[in-house]
Amino acid sequence: MIAPVSYIQPLTTLRRKRSLPVEGEVLVSLGATVHSSDAVARANLQAKHLILDAGRALGLPPERANRMIQRSVGEKLEEGAIIAGRRGVGARQLRAPAAGTIAAISESRVLLQVNDDSSFLRARVPGVVIDVEPNRGVTIECICALAQGVWGNGRLADGFLQAVGTDRDQVLTADQIDMSLRGVILFVGRCEQRQALELAAQVPIRGLIIGSLSTRLMPIAKNLPYPLVVVEGFGTTPINSDAFKLLSNHSGQQATLNAQYGGPGGGSERPEVIIPIKEAGRPPQPVAMQTFRIGQPVHVLSGPDKGSVGEITAMLPAPTQYSSGLRALSAEVALENGQLINYPLANLELLGSIALSMHLRNSAYDR
Amino acid sequence: MNKPAERQGLSLVSVDVGSVSTRAQFFDIVEGRYRFLAAGEAPSTANSPTQDVNVGVLEALEQLQEFLGRTLISQEGLHISPENESGVGANAVTTTFSGGPALKVAVVGLLDEVSLTSVNKLVHSSYCRVVENFGLNDRRKPENIIDAICQTLPDLIVLAGGTNRGASRSVVRLANYLALALKLIPERERPQVLFVGNENLQEEIDNLLGALTKLHHAPNIRPSLDVEYLEPAKDKLAEIYFNIQADKLRGLEELRHLAEGRFLPSASAFGRVIRFLSTVIDAPKGILGIDLGAANTTVASAFAGELQLRVFPELGMGSSLGGMMAETHLSQIMRWIPFDLKEDVVLDYLYNKPLFPQSLPTTPEELAIEQAAARQVMRLAIGKSLPMFPREAIYPLPSTVPWFDRILVSGSTVARAPRLEQSLLMILDALQPVGIATIILDQNNLVGAIGAGAEIDPVLAVHVLESSAFMNLGTVISPVGKARGGLLMRIQLVRDGQKEPVIDVKEGGLQVIPLPAGKAADLYVQPMQSVNIGLGPGRGGWVRRVVGGTYGLIIDTRGRPIQVPGAFNRRQEALLSWQTALSGF
Repeated sequence: MIAPVSYIQPLTTLRRKRSLPVEGEVLVSLGATVHSSDAVARANLQAKHLILDAGRALGLPPERANRMIQRSVGEKLEEGAIIAGRRGVGARQLRAPAAGTIAAISESRVLLQVNDDSSFLRARVPGVVIDVEPNRGVTIECICALAQGVWGNGRLADGFLQAVGTDRDQVLTADQIDMSLRGVILFVGRCEQRQALELAAQVPIRGLIIGSLSTRLMPIAKNLPYPLVVVEGFGTTPINSDAFKLLSNHSGQQATLNAQYGGPGGGSERPEVIIPIKEAGRPPQPVAMQTFRIGQPVHVLSGPDKGSVGEITAMLPAPTQYSSGLRALSAEVALENGQLINYPLANLELLGSIALSMHLRNSAYDR
Repeated sequence: MNKPAERQGLSLVSVDVGSVSTRAQFFDIVEGRYRFLAAGEAPSTANSPTQDVNVGVLEALEQLQEFLGRTLISQEGLHISPENESGVGANAVTTTFSGGPALKVAVVGLLDEVSLTSVNKLVHSSYCRVVENFGLNDRRKPENIIDAICQTLPDLIVLAGGTNRGASRSVVRLANYLALALKLIPERERPQVLFVGNENLQEEIDNLLGALTKLHHAPNIRPSLDVEYLEPAKDKLAEIYFNIQADKLRGLEELRHLAEGRFLPSASAFGRVIRFLSTVIDAPKGILGIDLGAANTTVASAFAGELQLRVFPELGMGSSLGGMMAETHLSQIMRWIPFDLKEDVVLDYLYNKPLFPQSLPTTPEELAIEQAAARQVMRLAIGKSLPMFPREAIYPLPSTVPWFDRILVSGSTVARAPRLEQSLLMILDALQPVGIATIILDQNNLVGAIGAGAEIDPVLAVHVLESSAFMNLGTVISPVGKARGGLLMRIQLVRDGQKEPVIDVKEGGLQVIPLPAGKAADLYVQPMQSVNIGLGPGRGGWVRRVVGGTYGLIIDTRGRPIQVPGAFNRRQEALLSWQTALSGF
């Protein structure tokens, strides 16, 4: 069965395509090195226009007025510039009421674009531009360690990783926040306290990676000035051990926190923690599609063991019945503590992780 | 030697790609009738990281082959071999689709209460999200409207307005504004345009917009002020929906090829079955259908072949659960949960579900939360659908659904509940039917398939609907109104010509009278005072050939709307008593 995958990878080649929703201008060239916050392309997504009717201004029928238009599409105009009509005292004219660019002409109507508020497309990943699609966007490649989350508040920042406490179940509280955390990306088990999130904004920290967030804090999290990535979901589930180990291994190192919207249920790319690694070679890219098989590391997505990680020890041939009464195709999973538990395949995702498999192979568990 | 009977009918594979699951279902003739024989199911793969719908389709088909013990897929990849004499392959393939994001649509019309009402009805009959809506009464300046179109970047603009001998200048003026907006949008991103207005203007609209974008025409949806004509436009919209999705999602074009062009949006297939049912069975009060999906909920009703269809892309049990949460107070969900759960536990579950829409509830508490949410999603959908029902629909009270003869419910959360009484209670609590209605459960998620299959052979729908593939849960009798002393009505069943004892029906609960599926009985009903079961206040009489089902006759006297006690202990008592009333059957 095709499996959803969450990538927690100690070393991978990450490729991310960044595309404008409309045609615009690409600002970087092939082979350029970009930082995550660099603008790679721009377009005017919030254009404002004025409709100027030459026919009405000149008192002429549309066809004749059209012939009196002296400008063409793309022409930049100063305020007061003549668009249509004749020069001379008393001659009726159509003038630009504001500075702008002629965006379109349709019959005797002229559409003047009066602003140039470009929206910039950020790289959101540090790396090298390996492909450029003219007027549209780029593909960026980065050799990195990668941990994916399930929810982000849309923001982006770089900073140095730092753990709050040594336990993956650590709860973030306001008394743990002080000025020494200025400029760091914190990672912590969970957060249930509004003051902690708000105080962190005052320091300010650069970002927050969190196992779980109290659902009631979601509206606040959406408006924080720093990026926040949730790894497990909403509630009190601690950050999973694979993600915690990976982040701990890179504590003190520079990382990019791309807390983009979207997640496994939204159909788009997940929010990500990207830790660039200077590596001579090019490690493999994450495998896009995988199926559930014995020996694979998995992450429990739902139910009482949500957030646990383990390894598939058996694919069960017949549907298993759960205490809810539902029957579902299932796998037997050996959790890190050695317990063997059956889970519906629908409640599991594969961990694109090497570390855990090695960990489990080294640990003793009874069948 | 007898000549073998000539084979009648076709074997059919139906593929449905949803937002969470991809299903492949197989139908064939057994003993002269179409039967649903097997299904394969796989996760949907339209989204990241796979981003190719056919990965899921192939897995579902492979699973179907395995269950069926029959080869369907040819060696040349995604292709179903034509059925041959050795029973390999299938005669026909159909596809239904609801897996992509809803289309972003801008609707443009003249008057709010005429063309704009109709064009909104049109786009809400498919997987569309209206991002802009403007007409003659819009107070914004034209340039602001143009900017809004450019900023929202719709996939499609639907332009309506003008009866066939009516307004033309206003429609052309709107089209001129659209032309300006289209010129501002780079060619690759330009929305397609569907013109469904004054047919006399088609050439002028062609001249204005045809060179700028892909322009489609359908007959005027308001040919005259008092006539609304949506069906051809709906078909055109379905075609456009597919084409736009095929441009965005890898594999859809191949899927269309697989089905030799037989493609329908799942909602259209669902609507087709509801309409069909209203023409083939005796249902003067109409048929209601509701399909509770992960990303969308579809409500369909049909009265004598006239279909009303509404898709809610903001309401669903998976990625769209957030839409329900945005419109719901938590107490509206808590009231259906018979466990003493903290509000935060319920909230956490409901906010995590859209992150993992495929996940299943494994504990009784999780199941109760999910089923409570399903009630609320269906309740919201049906509430929003009330204005859609036509004049023929009769409402006993302003807040209830109209009388319906049959109610068909589809969708995994309801259809695959562990116990059938849970399915039935979800339906009764959410839809709160009134009068006498038979409840049918699409327990195998077949409605879409038979809707699409009806194009190949309409008999398929008849045969499969009559088979055990659909579960007739029973006939619910829900009186409306009050009577002194709480005695609402007296009923007497006449089974096989034998009169049974008169039953006094009191208000405030659920009661079951066994009447097995396939059996029918006559029912004499005498409502008290102003109590109404659909024959008029206080009016009674014979109800002939009431059909049975798994739960026989269900008498629901909980009132409309159902009042669930607020205090937990009393609430738990009420909810458990309703479950108990059904659980013995």
